[in-house]
Amino acid sequence: MIAVLGALALGTIALHRGEQINAMWLVIAAFCAYSLAYRFYSKFVSARVLALDPQRATPAERLENGRDFVPTNKWVVFGHHFAAIAGPGPLVGPVLAAQFGYLPGTLWILAGAVFGGCVQDFVILLFSVRRDGKSLTEMAREEVGRAGGLVAYLAVISIIVILLGAGSLIVVNALKASPWGVFTIAMTIPIALLMGLYLRRLRPGKVLEVSVLGFILVMLAIWGGQWVSQSSSMAPWFTMSAPAVAVAIIIYGFAASVLPVWLLLAPRDYLSTFVKLGTIGLLAIGIIALHPTLHMPPLTRFTDGSGPVFAGKIFPFAFITIACGAISGFHSLISSGTTPKMIRREPEARMVGYGAMMCESMVAIMATVAACVLQPGTYFAINSPAGIVGKAAETAVATISGWGFPVTIATMQSLAHAVGEQTLFNRTGGAPAFAVGMAHIFSSSLGGQAVMAIWYHFAIMFEALFILTTIDAGTRVGRFMLQDAFGHIWEPMGRTSWYPSILGTSGLIVAAWGYFLWQGVKDPLGGINSLWPLFGIANQLLATVALCVATTIVIKMRKARFCFVTLVPLGWLVAVTFTASWHKIFDPNPRIGFLAHARQLTSSPALVPDLSRLILNDRLDALVTGVLVFMVALILVESAFLWLRVLIGRKTVSVRESAFVATRFATEEQG
Amino acid sequence: MSLGQLTSALRSGMKLVLAALREIFDEGAYRRFLARERMDPSCRSYREFRREHELAKARRPRCC
Repeated sequence: MIAVLGALALGTIALHRGEQINAMWLVIAAFCAYSLAYRFYSKFVSARVLALDPQRATPAERLENGRDFVPTNKWVVFGHHFAAIAGPGPLVGPVLAAQFGYLPGTLWILAGAVFGGCVQDFVILLFSVRRDGKSLTEMAREEVGRAGGLVAYLAVISIIVILLGAGSLIVVNALKASPWGVFTIAMTIPIALLMGLYLRRLRPGKVLEVSVLGFILVMLAIWGGQWVSQSSSMAPWFTMSAPAVAVAIIIYGFAASVLPVWLLLAPRDYLSTFVKLGTIGLLAIGIIALHPTLHMPPLTRFTDGSGPVFAGKIFPFAFITIACGAISGFHSLISSGTTPKMIRREPEARMVGYGAMMCESMVAIMATVAACVLQPGTYFAINSPAGIVGKAAETAVATISGWGFPVTIATMQSLAHAVGEQTLFNRTGGAPAFAVGMAHIFSSSLGGQAVMAIWYHFAIMFEALFILTTIDAGTRVGRFMLQDAFGHIWEPMGRTSWYPSILGTSGLIVAAWGYFLWQGVKDPLGGINSLWPLFGIANQLLATVALCVATTIVIKMRKARFCFVTLVPLGWLVAVTFTASWHKIFDPNPRIGFLAHARQLTSSPALVPDLSRLILNDRLDALVTGVLVFMVALILVESAFLWLRVLIGRKTVSVRESAFVATRFATEEQG
Repeated sequence: MSLGQLTSALRSGMKLVLAALREIFDEGAYRRFLARERMDPSCRSYREFRREHELAKARRPRCC
């Protein structure tokens, strides 16, 4: 019954041409695909490939210390794991990929999650559980080799830097020239300080209580933002240009890394998590209850690679643009981080690893819906950079209408007015389009057009707050990683509380992602065109490393006949990332290839300001991409040689799992 | 399903959601810290918990 319904829903979204379809078809197709995949495929993986053992004690039980290792109820671990993997990625990627139409993104999100992302998260979680909760880097070093460990380490630090650069650019594009947005986000700082003091002095440890209080205050700040944006004396204070927002974020990132966290960062983190879980729930209820119509066609003319949001054909660019909702290498860090230390029984890894990724994928489907409920002309007017459609509104609407997606200046002005913005043209990065889509869905019922601006700014606040939390946490993580590495060279640098080390390493990390951010802000093509693919490539290359480790362990477990489970997604990712990297470096089209763009700039010096810096940026992006691909090629070759030697019997290997200890939970349950 | 069973199922569902939220928001970790260190909830114990907790938490990458 579910299979038939799923086939009908997939048929509807794939085969309908010329008619608009309802968003519920996407939801039904996703629900059926996930149900079948969980019931059959994940069961196959857990029973035949991983042989989950209900009698085997997990590290949470064996090493229980009440701190890191704590046997926890499976639903609680599920919620904890989902909250850790859910980030802004599944909301931004699908919005950007909607330029191809709703079909490519939807199919990739479903297939990528079921056969790739869920499997990766599940197997890495289980392998970490069987190795006392070891991290991906440690597993890569032990199971693949020293090069594997080094590549995993470098891939992690590269992806953090690129992620922070791309994420902060999204915030810049959402907040530039938006006094309402800037005021709301600025207000989260005193709100977080208040929460920090409340937690520390008034009601120690009552985080849920203070998060509810913080949420109410944030809602009041959103309400107050409307007044600020309309006030002639207040609005100029909060109206910032893109470079000014970028500088503010860079200063914030540095301060966040060097200052104690309890007062500002920890409360903001709680507030952000609270808002995130609430917004995802609200969006799910909104889409199901209001089931809006999708205005975007299944396929647009931009499948040929000429898209304004980012250049490049569906293959490989749709598959690196949507990472987190389909398969994300970053998840392997979470699956080999806190979660394996909380799993109570081995069979529960299936629900936590495979199941939580299915929910993350559902979030990506909802983001696709939010983007595709917009009229295509509106979507392209918001997401197209001035470098493609022109700075003037007249030129932009003429260009976009010329593509066959009619839009007028009056429509855009009325929409901007409805959401409380001065303009919605050239608001690249995905966040504003997602916010307009979400506001559009909710305004058709809850409060109507009158509160559309509140919904829009709620969505902007949610994404900006969430990305800023990722930035401050990511900068600290990067700082610790650098301190660990430099500590091997000069011992004092490894001391995490030594201020010269803190300042130096924080400065290095902030300078690295700040460089990418500044490059994006100054890029005439909007920056996202270069940065998001770079982030997608880095993220998917990390997934390649994770799947290499997983395949190696499966082969070492003498389950080579089942290694297709990880080998097929690995092969696909290698094809996607290596092709995308080749295009980003060498493609002769200047909108795609970094080097071609640099050559184009060299040949037309009179037209472009800051020429030498733009050329340097292009060459640096090409170099970064090349280095990432080279590193992953190293681990691929090292893994492939190992697999071959094991398979032909030239090398005898054993898995490096912790010794079997019988669980006491099984007898407790029987008793 | 009788009304009593439904109420009981709803109650246990709510308990589970609350437990998950307590874990996500570190209230569970604080409770375990108090039990482990044999301390009562206070400003001092919370400060010590945060010091210990942040050292571990700050090293965890945040997902995209």
